[in-house]
Amino acid sequence: MKPVYVLGVGAHPWGKWPNKPQVALAVEALQAAFMDAGIGWPQVEGMVAASSRFEGGMGWGLHANEVVQTVSEQGIPCINVGGACAAGVIAFHTAWAMIASGQHDAVAVVGAERMPKGFIPRPPGSQDDISDSDYLRWVAMGATNPAYWALEAQRRFHEYGTTPETLALAAVQMRSNAAGNPYARYREPLTVAEVLASPMVSDPLHLLQICPVSDGAAALVLGSERFLAHVDRDPVQVAGCAVGSGQFGDPARRIPTIANNVLPGVAHTSEVVGAVSRALKMAGMGPRDVDILEMADNSAWHLLAWPELFGIVEPGQSDWMLARGRYARDGDLALNPGGGFLSFGEATTAQAVLQLCELTWQLRGEAEGRQVAGAKVGLSAVLGLGANGGSVVLKR
Amino acid sequence: MMHEAKSFVVDGLMAEGSEGVRLCASSCGGCGSVYFPRTVSCRNPDCSSTSLEEKLLEGRGILYSYTIQRYQPPNLFRIDNWEPYALGLVDLPEGIRVMGMLSGFDLDNIRIGETVKLISECLFTDPDRGKVMTYKFAPEITGRDAQ
Repeated sequence: MKPVYVLGVGAHPWGKWPNKPQVALAVEALQAAFMDAGIGWPQVEGMVAASSRFEGGMGWGLHANEVVQTVSEQGIPCINVGGACAAGVIAFHTAWAMIASGQHDAVAVVGAERMPKGFIPRPPGSQDDISDSDYLRWVAMGATNPAYWALEAQRRFHEYGTTPETLALAAVQMRSNAAGNPYARYREPLTVAEVLASPMVSDPLHLLQICPVSDGAAALVLGSERFLAHVDRDPVQVAGCAVGSGQFGDPARRIPTIANNVLPGVAHTSEVVGAVSRALKMAGMGPRDVDILEMADNSAWHLLAWPELFGIVEPGQSDWMLARGRYARDGDLALNPGGGFLSFGEATTAQAVLQLCELTWQLRGEAEGRQVAGAKVGLSAVLGLGANGGSVVLKR
Repeated sequence: MMHEAKSFVVDGLMAEGSEGVRLCASSCGGCGSVYFPRTVSCRNPDCSSTSLEEKLLEGRGILYSYTIQRYQPPNLFRIDNWEPYALGLVDLPEGIRVMGMLSGFDLDNIRIGETVKLISECLFTDPDRGKVMTYKFAPEITGRDAQ
């Protein structure tokens, strides 16, 4: 395989953008990434988009086609990949493979999203019967997404003695990280007392410990060695890159299922743990080589659990790490130094692309207002519906 | 009479016999894996059997975790007289962990590790369907009485 580099990154700030269609957010993010890479449309040899089910893509998830038909009809391959909240990393993986295989020298990746208000509705065409878990979980027990994360958090309280204060501190840390990040939607500082005073949604998760939804877009350009001559800065290289799906016997409470087979020895959240493990192996690294972890914090619980699942710290050690500032930007592991999903609100298909933009800015030393000093290795991790997992290792 | 009628919230999810409510599951003829709800194929990658049998689960198990829904879920969840309720995750002896509503617990005093049993309760009453029932897990009273 040929080495692959991140040539340029760009994003549209997260928020609610009622006056910009999804495709406009996508185009703005791409233009920023092209400008950052110092290249233009004529050099782009392929477009990979994370397919959204909410807006754009002509209703068929054809978001890459929609972008080129909007901006530059130049005959390049347009590839649209599904993967729900993990679609962004699957798009990245696809673009990486297009270059690593030697087929192309520069490929763009985009994820752009405008989210519906409130609870995410079931997709049209779903079956109202026992074959659809997403139907069952609503009609038989009214299980919301936060309820799934809350069941995990409550179990953690039981197993490791995690306290409400520590769980609140995870949300406080994310806000503190986001304070200087112009792309984050929620930047006002929070205190533990404020988190605990926010409404209880699904015990033990309070409102401020659950990621909301936002609109946003992120893009990047990947390229081969041939394009490095265009870039006058230290290149960020894709050291490892993997996607995967779930293992039978995984004990994680997987949305939207209502039951799972639990077998001993199977990793929790196996789709993500498996992808992380293979991405690190490809990079020739171990979990403790990671300086920055950009991970999907759909809830405050995830921030405690995932670094342990990846082997970066021991099971149950996250509480201690967090309380002592070891997950802060100047700690042993910088955990979501840009603020994470809790400070952005999830723009589903764009989120995993943004993670890789953030790692690139950090590794280049360009993460103004949130820079992790001297970071050399960044790891991303994301989970999507359908037991999709993905992970990328970037290095400087 | 119409108001005496009773139905289950989803066809094929649960069944009620002389011994009470049961969960409708599938059991693999090859590896013995049990699936709830019923499914079309065994998904154990180490098993190539194509034979699935129907199986009813008694639903007595151990509470693995729980949460309390403080806000009313969206309209797809239909319930009469909504108020906050507990959801639980229960380990059944068949090797599966099942999620469901809890009943009969004091919301401030739910204990992980407690033995629970399966019951059915009415979610809402509908003019066409009568009492619409779902399955729930309730404290195993016998164990408490023995203390």
